Amino acid sequence: MMTAIDTRGLTKQYGHASPIHPGRATPAAVRALDDLTIQVQEGEIFGFLGPNGAGKSTAIRLLLGFLRPTHGTATVMGLDIARDSVGIRACVGYLPGGVSFWDGLTGVRLLDELAAMSGRPPVRRAELLDRLELDERTLRRPVRDYSRGMRQKIGIVQALQHDPELAVLDEPSEGLDPLMQRAFYEILDDLRAAGRTIFFSSHVLSEVERVCDRVAIVRQGRLVALEDVHSLLARRKRNVEIRLQGPAPNLDGVPGVSEVSSGGGRLTCRLEGDVGPFLAAIGGSAISDLTIEPARLEEAFLEFYEDERVQA
Amino acid sequence: MNRALFLHTWRAYRVRLLIVTVAIGLWGTLLPVIYDSFGAQFKQMLDSGLIPPQFAQFGGGDIFSLTGAVALGLVHPISVGLNLVFAVGFGAAAVAGERQRGTLEILLSRPLSRRTTYVTLGLAGALFIGVTVAGFLVGAYVGSGLTGRLDELGTSDLPLLWLNAVLLFGAFGAIALAMSVSFDRLSPALGISLAVVLVSYFLDVLGSLWPDAKWLQPYSLFHYLDAKAVLAGLADPRDFVVLAAVIAVAVGAALMIFPRRDLAAPS
Repeated sequence: MMTAIDTRGLTKQYGHASPIHPGRATPAAVRALDDLTIQVQEGEIFGFLGPNGAGKSTAIRLLLGFLRPTHGTATVMGLDIARDSVGIRACVGYLPGGVSFWDGLTGVRLLDELAAMSGRPPVRRAELLDRLELDERTLRRPVRDYSRGMRQKIGIVQALQHDPELAVLDEPSEGLDPLMQRAFYEILDDLRAAGRTIFFSSHVLSEVERVCDRVAIVRQGRLVALEDVHSLLARRKRNVEIRLQGPAPNLDGVPGVSEVSSGGGRLTCRLEGDVGPFLAAIGGSAISDLTIEPARLEEAFLEFYEDERVQA
Repeated sequence: MNRALFLHTWRAYRVRLLIVTVAIGLWGTLLPVIYDSFGAQFKQMLDSGLIPPQFAQFGGGDIFSLTGAVALGLVHPISVGLNLVFAVGFGAAAVAGERQRGTLEILLSRPLSRRTTYVTLGLAGALFIGVTVAGFLVGAYVGSGLTGRLDELGTSDLPLLWLNAVLLFGAFGAIALAMSVSFDRLSPALGISLAVVLVSYFLDVLGSLWPDAKWLQPYSLFHYLDAKAVLAGLADPRDFVVLAAVIAVAVGAALMIFPRRDLAAPS
């Protein structure tokens, strides 16, 4: 399997090096991305997470040739970002965050013109329009009359209509209603099944959890986690609540169990990793109800940022 | 050049181009009519000494001959303003305006190199300038025909005058496009481009009205459009060379700057 995106120590610093000490940045210089090394495999949906200003957009813009790296190298679909950015954009579909269009054009004219500039026929357009419920009458109206959600749908169509090998989507479900979000996730699932690669930046962690195979989390321009979504979740501590009909079971020393608290016919604890030892420990107890909340990506994400606050 | 981008640009500006061309064509038509109706009276007024002779030769034109009236019309603020709609208006907005609106993101995410984008937008701008200048000259031709003075116009030199005027406004357009690729926002690109035009115009007008300031005129790009001399068959090739050199420098600078500069996320 080919590597769709391969970055090696990718770094971007805005501002200038000190004229007195060329190796040192001036106080105004900002390191927006620092030593990013990731590999995105062909056919996977890769989530790229981080709050505003973490370096997500900088990374995307470096990959597409909008920015020049300060240090490091990267390839997209085997093409070098510094030398072959035109070739890269020929096989990439891009949805920018907060996308803007030429508002005077009708939806259909906009899609036609963008497809013509892409140099590839819009083979997926009809299917995408159908699934995102953009009908012919809507497409004949000027884009300036579109709601935010409709603009976002047009943005998704323009990014995917020419069936790119790699789609780079920045906050793609922003402004979509829940039904359209679901339709969009199904489109992503189909693209993955067709072997297409999706590089996906989002603030909506539940959707990242829903659609992504792997995630990278960036903080202040640095990569702090790069992991399979399932592995990341498997290592999370889950909240457990037990309703008791008798005495509380003894959970002292049970592997993976922590923060045990009981009283009033109720026991709560946190559970990490394998559930086997925990289930064995409560096996003989009289239990009326047991709830193990699923681990959420949001908690993992917040934990990385909690660390940051503690360090600060 | 990218055909799809060129057609996109053409479609986006064609209505404005039509309006400006019709307006400048009407202005061009009016000047021979004014000359035909009032030229003799103006000449009498000038001969009476009521008007200083410098005021009667504004920007190398006059109102005592058809070619002088056409030359005057070409550098009159109305004509200059209409030609600048595309020379400076389009030039400055072509990249900086798209960037400010956020549409440059969508454009540059296509497989277009920045050089191709620049060249395509530059050629579109040159076409627009060529059409508006042609609009003025067609108007002047029609006005001369309506007043029965076509033989005074020197029609064989009209293509050369078109080239000279296109080079002048093309120079302003190339400067505006160079500013456009250098800034993230429209206002500095437009402001600097307009400042170049205004300073240039001021130097030329000042030099033409005040003999002691005549030495300033070569520093004005307007100095290199002498429409009356061109229509009289006395075009100076150096004027064309100077304007072409300004265009070449502006294009060279833009082609150096645009492909190398960072385009950070719009704020």
